Amino acid sequence: MNIVLRELRANMKALIIWCVMQVFLIYVGMLKYAGMAEAGNSVNDLLAGLPEIFKTMFGLSTFDLTHVGGYYGVFFLYFILLGSIHAVMLGAVIISKEERDKTADFLLTKPVSRVRIITSKLVAALINIVAFNLTTLIASIIIVDMYNQGQSITGDIIKLMIALFIIQLIFLSVGVGTAVMTRNTKKATSVSTAVLLITFILSMAIDMYSKIENLKYLTPFKYFEARQLMFGGQFEAVFIVLSALIVIVLVTVTYIFYKKRDMQV
Amino acid sequence: MNVYLQELKMYRKSLITWTIALVVLVVLILSMFPAIAKDAQLLNKLLSAFPEGIQKALGLTTLDLSTVLGFYSFVFIYVLLVGSIQAMNLGTSILSAEVRERTADFLLVKPINRSRIITYKLLAALTNIAITNVVYILAAKLMMDIVKKAPYDTKAFFLVTFTLLFLQLYFIAFGIAVSVFFKKIRTVLPISLAAVFGFYIIYLLNQTLHDAKLSYVTPFAYFEPAYIVSNVQYDVTYVAVAVGFFTVFTIVSYGIYTKKDIPAI
Amino acid sequence: MHIIEINQLTKYYGKSRGIVDVSFNVEEGEIFGFIGPNGAGKSTTIRTLLALIYPTSGSAKIFGKDCIQYGPEIRREIGYLPSEVFYYDNMKVLDVLKYSASFYNKDCKERLYELADIMDLDLNRKVNDLSYGNKKKVGIVQGLLHSPKLIILDEPTSGLDPLMQQKFFDLIHEENKKGATILFSSHILNEVQKLCHRVAIIKEGKIIKVEDIETLKQSNYKKFRIDMTDTITDTYFDVEGVTNLSIHDQHVTFLFSGDINVIISQLSQKRLKNLIVEEPTLDEIFMHYYVKEA
Repeated sequence: MNIVLRELRANMKALIIWCVMQVFLIYVGMLKYAGMAEAGNSVNDLLAGLPEIFKTMFGLSTFDLTHVGGYYGVFFLYFILLGSIHAVMLGAVIISKEERDKTADFLLTKPVSRVRIITSKLVAALINIVAFNLTTLIASIIIVDMYNQGQSITGDIIKLMIALFIIQLIFLSVGVGTAVMTRNTKKATSVSTAVLLITFILSMAIDMYSKIENLKYLTPFKYFEARQLMFGGQFEAVFIVLSALIVIVLVTVTYIFYKKRDMQV
Repeated sequence: MNVYLQELKMYRKSLITWTIALVVLVVLILSMFPAIAKDAQLLNKLLSAFPEGIQKALGLTTLDLSTVLGFYSFVFIYVLLVGSIQAMNLGTSILSAEVRERTADFLLVKPINRSRIITYKLLAALTNIAITNVVYILAAKLMMDIVKKAPYDTKAFFLVTFTLLFLQLYFIAFGIAVSVFFKKIRTVLPISLAAVFGFYIIYLLNQTLHDAKLSYVTPFAYFEPAYIVSNVQYDVTYVAVAVGFFTVFTIVSYGIYTKKDIPAI
Repeated sequence: MHIIEINQLTKYYGKSRGIVDVSFNVEEGEIFGFIGPNGAGKSTTIRTLLALIYPTSGSAKIFGKDCIQYGPEIRREIGYLPSEVFYYDNMKVLDVLKYSASFYNKDCKERLYELADIMDLDLNRKVNDLSYGNKKKVGIVQGLLHSPKLIILDEPTSGLDPLMQQKFFDLIHEENKKGATILFSSHILNEVQKLCHRVAIIKEGKIIKVEDIETLKQSNYKKFRIDMTDTITDTYFDVEGVTNLSIHDQHVTFLFSGDINVIISQLSQKRLKNLIVEEPTLDEIFMHYYVKEA
């Protein structure tokens, strides 16, 4: 418990900054919605005739922007981008920072097992990403409601937040996994950033070039997409299973590697 | 001069890694061009049926994806994204490294004043960026010539490509300015990722919103490839804004760093 | 000429106290001790002298020049050894030393190898593979290789084995004989006593006393150690001039300053087993200062 509290306190400032960023993003975005909604429907009719890959290419055009749900759907990409950066950095740093700050000797000579240390750190990280997710959820519901004149989209928002949470979990485990497999914080953050950038750009490439669609299993950014989840869509079982598998494997690896790790001075 | 050389030596590995990453990225993306060009011709036909007003509103008009230059300019944002992270990271870390690596007590007691130190470090960062750009430009030009089907406007290509350099200059200056405000930066990457992706998301958001004020906030909006390709020149206002920010960041960095207390180990 | 001239130097970190109104001078050619417990402000003073931090008020001059304004110029002639040493991890020892030498407009090569030899330092190892003590040696060589006129040492001996400490002290003595002035900060009195000519005592950010080592030691304090035949009451030595009194059964120790006859006549009323009167060590005088000021 003491380790969890210590970690929560250590990450408090960063968490607040991230949450403020999220709320600000949602607010600024929705502020503009009012103007957009008036722009009329002609654009949407014309867009309907375009081939699918070009719609995805332009990101925005897949959604009916005059409808609050369609407009909000655009945000999902930003959420998963920010959420994954937050989670991957959090995971990479929370494990490796004891050695970075030369506190490893302090913590590991206390009468606690390494398993306990990892568990506490994971719990603290989990609380952080849940807080990030809940902030996004609550801010979305409130701010969207302020501008929504049609049907409530709270159900869709909740669905998107569940998807966001799964992606956060994946990247958190990528972060902690890299941390135990690398020598120091700098390497851990570099490698996990590389994973993040490569998977992100791959997801964009898949959007542009349909022939490489099968690579979508490699990038979490393609596991859940707003336009598939919203308006009555469902989660795809295969991606849920795949996500669970990635998280379980990486977390197990984290425990095993950390137990055997030689602490650097 | 010695500080400059030392910095070059210390960032050699990171320089090589980032340069390779950018080259690989542009080679991979451009190698998708032949496949996409065919689809794009179809799109052009469809688009030409749209009224011009709507084309403009969607921002689709100016980049013809069936030409290699249009395609290159369209995907160039990913090159900018990766290049910006490189620059932001370099800028944020180069001054703060002395405190982080606990070498400040070594360097700052040498007979050299602090503005000299910033100047040398800034020069080293600029040299890194220059090398990255030279290699990148050669690779991109070569790749363009390999995949092209018809001649393209070389001047426009260079104008678009040079924006990588400009954006990197912006982020070097921004990174240094950010770093002087912190007492001690323990891990650089979370800060650089948050900053670059923060700006990137504002840029993405603004592609939907088209808000002129918001476009001054994010450097990604300063050198819009569509504008450059159709006008074969830069938008002077944004160039002025970019130069303005660069100057302010640099002056702030010198001003604060020369007056800063260096924390004890 | 004063090599170091500190004038009412004050440094606050936000609201917390660093040092307050610190003033003292260090003369050319002396080894000056700067002594106080942890957190008293030794490092704050030294880091201000080196312009690593900026004073809240007051000023300091080195070689007659303001240490902030003329920082770079002054530092040409300063060698500094911090209490904890860290160097660029991916470099070899020799590279660090050469890099250090490259800041001074003179040829330091010969001295570099000479010092490395004296300190028994392997130049080809990577800095991050070095033990704490070996890093310290890099620090010593690095601080001395340009034959500075002023050497500033901030608790330099921690992490060195006794043999190396001796070599290090010899080195410092030698540099001093060649004309270097030395500012030596420490919380270990013994080494200050061995090495220094004068000493400044700092406590809770303020200078309590600046004094010659000899004067300090020859202050009229005497240390009494007595074995009595009977136990005595606590109040028996309640005499003007007695401090640091401790009574364990028949064994009594205290410091005495004043008319020696008073204490002797007091003692003569009792039967003693043994009596030793000796010069107190610097530690004991030092403790005395601290207790008195508290």
